[in-house]
Amino acid sequence: MKVRVNEVEHHVAADWRDETLLTVLREHLGLAGTKFSCGIGQCGACVVHVDGSAINSCLISIADVENKNILTIEGLASGDGSLHPLQQAWIDENVPQCGFCQSGQIMQALALVGDKPDPTDADIDSVMSGNLCRCGTYDRIRKSIKKAALVMRSTS
Amino acid sequence: MVSISRRNFLIATGWVAAGVTGVYALSKHAVAVAPTIIFPDETSGAAWVQIRPGGVCHMFFPRVDMGQNANSGLAQIVAEELNIDVEDIQGVQPSTSDVPPLAVTAGSMSMTAFSRPLAIAAATLREGLRDRAAVKLGEPVAAVLDDVGGFQTSDRRKVSYADLVDDTGLVIERESDQAVPALYAFDSGRQKTQVGHPKSPLGIRDLVTGGRVYTADVPMTGVLYGRAVQPPVRSAQIASLDTSGVAEVRGVVTLVEEGDFVGVVCTTPRAVDKAIAQIQVTWDLQQPITEEEISRLIDVDGKMAAGDLEHILQDKAHRRNADWSVDLRFDVQVQTHAAQEPRAAIARFNDAGADHRLEIWTGTQDPFGMQRFASMDTGLSESDVVIYLQRLGGGFGGREHYEVERDAVRLARAVGRPVKVQWTRADEFMASRSRPASAHRIRIASDDQGNLTDWWYGYVTGHVVFARERLPGWLLPVARLSDDSGVVKGAIAPYQAPHQRVECEDVDLPIDLGVWRSLNGASAIFAIESAMDELAVLQGKEPVAFKIAQMQGEQPRLAHCLATVRKLSAKRRLPEAAGYGRGFACGIYDGRCFVAVSADVFVDEVNQQINVLHLCCAQDVGMAVNPDQLRAQIESNLVWSIGMALLERFEVADNTIQSSNFDNYTIPRMRNMPTLDIDIIDQPNLPPTGAGEVALVAGPPAIANAIRDASGFRALSLPIRFADI
Repeated sequence: MKVRVNEVEHHVAADWRDETLLTVLREHLGLAGTKFSCGIGQCGACVVHVDGSAINSCLISIADVENKNILTIEGLASGDGSLHPLQQAWIDENVPQCGFCQSGQIMQALALVGDKPDPTDADIDSVMSGNLCRCGTYDRIRKSIKKAALVMRSTS
Repeated sequence: MVSISRRNFLIATGWVAAGVTGVYALSKHAVAVAPTIIFPDETSGAAWVQIRPGGVCHMFFPRVDMGQNANSGLAQIVAEELNIDVEDIQGVQPSTSDVPPLAVTAGSMSMTAFSRPLAIAAATLREGLRDRAAVKLGEPVAAVLDDVGGFQTSDRRKVSYADLVDDTGLVIERESDQAVPALYAFDSGRQKTQVGHPKSPLGIRDLVTGGRVYTADVPMTGVLYGRAVQPPVRSAQIASLDTSGVAEVRGVVTLVEEGDFVGVVCTTPRAVDKAIAQIQVTWDLQQPITEEEISRLIDVDGKMAAGDLEHILQDKAHRRNADWSVDLRFDVQVQTHAAQEPRAAIARFNDAGADHRLEIWTGTQDPFGMQRFASMDTGLSESDVVIYLQRLGGGFGGREHYEVERDAVRLARAVGRPVKVQWTRADEFMASRSRPASAHRIRIASDDQGNLTDWWYGYVTGHVVFARERLPGWLLPVARLSDDSGVVKGAIAPYQAPHQRVECEDVDLPIDLGVWRSLNGASAIFAIESAMDELAVLQGKEPVAFKIAQMQGEQPRLAHCLATVRKLSAKRRLPEAAGYGRGFACGIYDGRCFVAVSADVFVDEVNQQINVLHLCCAQDVGMAVNPDQLRAQIESNLVWSIGMALLERFEVADNTIQSSNFDNYTIPRMRNMPTLDIDIIDQPNLPPTGAGEVALVAGPPAIANAIRDASGFRALSLPIRFADI
């Protein structure tokens, strides 16, 4: 069985085929940037993109993403190390506190700005409310999304 | 008490093998039971900061990284002393073998307790190097001036730290009673390059690119997966156990049963889930775990009617029978940490001859406590155990106990291979040591002018620092003779009255208790600030002016916060329509941190909900080392305040913990966010006060007072639900 993650094809060993996508990413493929937090799709820490859509990777079986294109936080920066505008905005606004939820926040925000290039506060409330941050960095996340969206609009 | 020579320790660890370091005369440290409470003295910083060959400043972070970014602020202080940029500091989270024991990271104490020892260490290095620079330049020391990363003369001859430090282990010795060198970070007249500037936290890039910084991210060859069954409370004992289904699960390596410990080790995480699901346990409990039992135990009115409460915290010409203007009981719910990272640990046992017989990777607020407990648990000596500290995905007071580490150690020992234990979210809730429920009775009497004459505040709460889950049984009765420092937080109001009494009692509750953000501070100050607001409303007085007047000049820093937040709040007009309200509250955390918050709310009758629209905060932070990070901590506390005031309730029923995940323990989400306006009151002449759990004391009562203003409803218990109104 094969999955394509961040444009690299990976073989999934037989013992791992009844795991979730999240567990395979973290424990089998060594991509630990995507986080486990609730396990029931309530917190968004494990958000990745499958064929361009944001999903909670804790809820989906690895078998369901066979041969699909998966994008994780590790694949967001360019090959030359330059950061995605969302990641750069997250640094410019000093968003992370403990940082644990931020991979999922950024991947969810990526879906938002893909869908709404100029997101309103209501768009942000609606799309980002599935991503919990116990440190309460929401105000900075909101600012960073708007900032990154502006950069992306002006460069596209 | 044991004594160590810090110099010998530093030599033994290789710390002084190369580069230059400061070393002090003999110092002592105490062995505490739990948590580790060795606060640094003026000599402690020697073990944390060093200039290495090449002139690079190497810093062992003395604090645990869990979101408050205290280490980044401390690094700014080191950089200020050494005339370098904070970005040029090589910061490393030390293992327990790298540094002498450090105190648990807790209590918003990091900046207050650690900034000065670090400044002294760095300044000592700087002055020692200046002496060497003077020799090298052939100038008197007084003619050797500061330069970026080194020194210069008035005629611009330069010498860098790299020129002064070589591969031999240089030691700058100072006696601990010797005068402290000039501390640039604490010199309020000095133009600073690092301190007071909004620097990004060190290591932030890892946090937005998926770097491996948390425990469960650590790669480990040959690792197996394990988990133990969590009891509903620590004191529970197994009544019945059926593990017969475990053997049927594919991938199970072993089942471990030791007394009340039951766990499994498997080849994959999924196998662990399946095997744990096959374990059927029932528990014997010491107390019924129900809401009714908790309410019965914290019955403040019953206890106050029966006589004095256990601890009298303030007693000044107390009168039992004044003409009370306000006589209210406030109840505060159980709340838990719900950090985003469920705890994880990896344990590995090594053969004799290895540097350490037992290695543990974990994110904990108390690494030296983990070392001590793992030693006691396994019979290994402390020096045979090493803790590799990882970043915490949130702490908030909940991560200072040997628990997930114990699970990993016992399971790894059973299989002789490294084992990773990843708690589930349900495990995390089950094992949490929550902020206790509490009940508060406040009686206030006032004279004809409305000034306070009598203040009588009694409250009953679960234990905090002296919770039975936190200390060994033999120590509890002794410890509890004194005041529980967590229970008394926030109890003394800033308001003055000729007759004042404050008393409290702490009790065992049927759930596990412990340290939570602000300890009892947020609970007590919710009660105090609600009662004072009610008195202002009854007297028809503006609450800010009323509260400042009742401080009678005794709390100028707090009064200034309150006046400042009123100005901030006035920048935004409150709609005059029905349902809108504004409230104010203030508080002092731990006697040293001053804060005031205002809240604008809308009580929405149509959608049957309470919306927090806008929160303002003015906080006196002492010296503002990193204004942006202070602001971030205030934002965090304000969001947390919404959870405490309106959303969070740790549910128990039917002799177990019912809150098991974020669907039945509600914390604030993006859609709950108000706009925020924050003013940091910088006092460059005063020590930094800490900010990690400060604004939380004023946020919930400000929201409650705003609801009173909006609807006339006085919230007497938290969380406040629309249905209550």
